[in-house]
Amino acid sequence: MRSAEITAEPAEARQLSLSFLRPSRSAMIGTLAVLAFLVLWQIAPTMGWVNGRFTSRPTEVLLAAIDIFQNDDFLYHARISLTEFVAGFALAIVVSVPLGVLLGTSKIARHLIDPPLMALYIAPTLVLLPIMVIWLGIDMAPKIAVVFLGAVFPIVLNTMAGMSEADPKFLRMARSFGATKFDIFTRVLVPGSLPALLTGLRLAVGRAVLGVIVGELFVSQAGIGYQLNLYGSAMRIDRLLVYALIVSAFGYTLTVIVRSVENKVRDWRSK
Amino acid sequence: MAQIEIRDLGIDYRKPKSNEVFSAVDSVDLSVEKGEFVTIVGSSGCGKSTLLMAVAGLVDLTRGSIEIDGKRVDGPGPDRAVVFQEASLLPWRSVRGNVKFGLEMQRWSGGDLNERAMQMIRLVGLGRFSDYHPHQLSGGMRQRVNIARALAVDPEVLLMDEPFGALDAQTREIMGTELLRIWERAKKTALFVTHDIDEAIFLADKIVVMGRNPGHIKEVIKVDLPRPRNESILDSDAFHELRKRLRAHLAEDMSSMQLVQEVA
Ligand SMILES: Nc1ncnc2c1ncn2[C@@H]1O[C@H](COP(=O)(O)OP(=O)(O)OP(=O)(O)O)[C@@H](O)[C@H]1O
Ligand SMILES: [Mg+2]
Repeated sequence: MRSAEITAEPAEARQLSLSFLRPSRSAMIGTLAVLAFLVLWQIAPTMGWVNGRFTSRPTEVLLAAIDIFQNDDFLYHARISLTEFVAGFALAIVVSVPLGVLLGTSKIARHLIDPPLMALYIAPTLVLLPIMVIWLGIDMAPKIAVVFLGAVFPIVLNTMAGMSEADPKFLRMARSFGATKFDIFTRVLVPGSLPALLTGLRLAVGRAVLGVIVGELFVSQAGIGYQLNLYGSAMRIDRLLVYALIVSAFGYTLTVIVRSVENKVRDWRSK
Repeated sequence: MAQIEIRDLGIDYRKPKSNEVFSAVDSVDLSVEKGEFVTIVGSSGCGKSTLLMAVAGLVDLTRGSIEIDGKRVDGPGPDRAVVFQEASLLPWRSVRGNVKFGLEMQRWSGGDLNERAMQMIRLVGLGRFSDYHPHQLSGGMRQRVNIARALAVDPEVLLMDEPFGALDAQTREIMGTELLRIWERAKKTALFVTHDIDEAIFLADKIVVMGRNPGHIKEVIKVDLPRPRNESILDSDAFHELRKRLRAHLAEDMSSMQLVQEVA
């Protein structure tokens, strides 16, 4: 019995000793590749390999970035886009989490609503954008609506799956200790479906970002998408690239944050 | 009167995708005295788990009755606790959180939950691991948490369904000795399902041998080996005698099973 205890040290200690070697090597290769690409990009127009008007240069992009942050009302446009994103996403969470929980616990509701929900999830909700504009005008409202529509379905579907795929052996165990239906709901089903809910959130982030940008590209008076439209028609590749980087970085950061929480929670259930 | 009285028990299951019923357990009579350790053996599918789950109040009875301390069983109750075959620990709770789970469900009022849980964790020898999560434990440690969770609610009757089924022979033996030590201190009534003949004899005051089609009790064998027991009794003549008797029973059942398979 004592010997069994010794074998089960937490795994972290062992992982640490290896982890300082591997990422640094791959990080080095990665950095070198990026540097090589930047150099190539910088000299290509000068050497006449490509037309600089269409490709811009790293130095130009850098200057454009500085200029954007200093003179371009960047904060004003970013605030508009961010507001649309946050409003739509928050609305999606408020609606989809309870709905997913409800559908996850009721078999009948699930059978009834699963097919249309699935169809809506698969269909690109952006096709509804023109309708949203007709209904809601050209201000923030249609973008918020599109963000909401993009984010709501992955969260509902994943939460629902998490709830309904609860391990029957946990339910039986809880019942054996006299758990009420409410106990089972709050102490088994909800914590058990948390990883699935987070997966839903993560998938929703990408769709929500897409919703904001495409919404603003379609028709708007302000926002990052509006700026993209403006510089697109002016063929300012340098500025377009800066905005593309900003939008990607935003979506990427959010996704990474959600994923790290998700992995932490999932750790407990795997193995 | 005995603590557990099972009378003419029958449990039917509905066959999948049909209206036919299948009798998993039939005409079972059994009484268990307070503080008795009863092991249940029998070939796979003979209804051992079904019988145990019936006592736990987790399956509906089709015929007959089960009484505990004169009260009819019609659902789970705080007088019983189950140790399931798979260590059904909640992965998002620590060892302590898992041991507390049963106490929380039963609205335990006998003092501080944390203290009670820690006491039980120490009893099964996992004091240093109370903050670990299940995935950080070995199979044997998980089963000990399972047992601690059941003991924590201080049940009259402990129901164990092959709790050591997934363990290697050696760990199993150690856990068996450990369980006896705990049981001798706590003096609970125990029903213990196992496939392992030695384990069945080693732990028991009384062995229930079950047969199949439908599940029924073939024989109840009293085990009069002295307590406290340790591994040395495995080599005693009395133990050999019991082992031979059980082997014969199970071999009989196996051959009838092969026959069924050949006909089918
Ligand atoms: N929920 C259920 N629905 C239908 N049939 C069931 C159900 N549970 C068990 N059975 C059937 O009842 C019979 C007895 O099952 P049980 O699990 O009690 O056997 P067991 O003796 O515990 O077997 P093992 O030693 O393999 O665990 C089996 O034939 C099984 O197919
Ligand atoms: Mg079984």
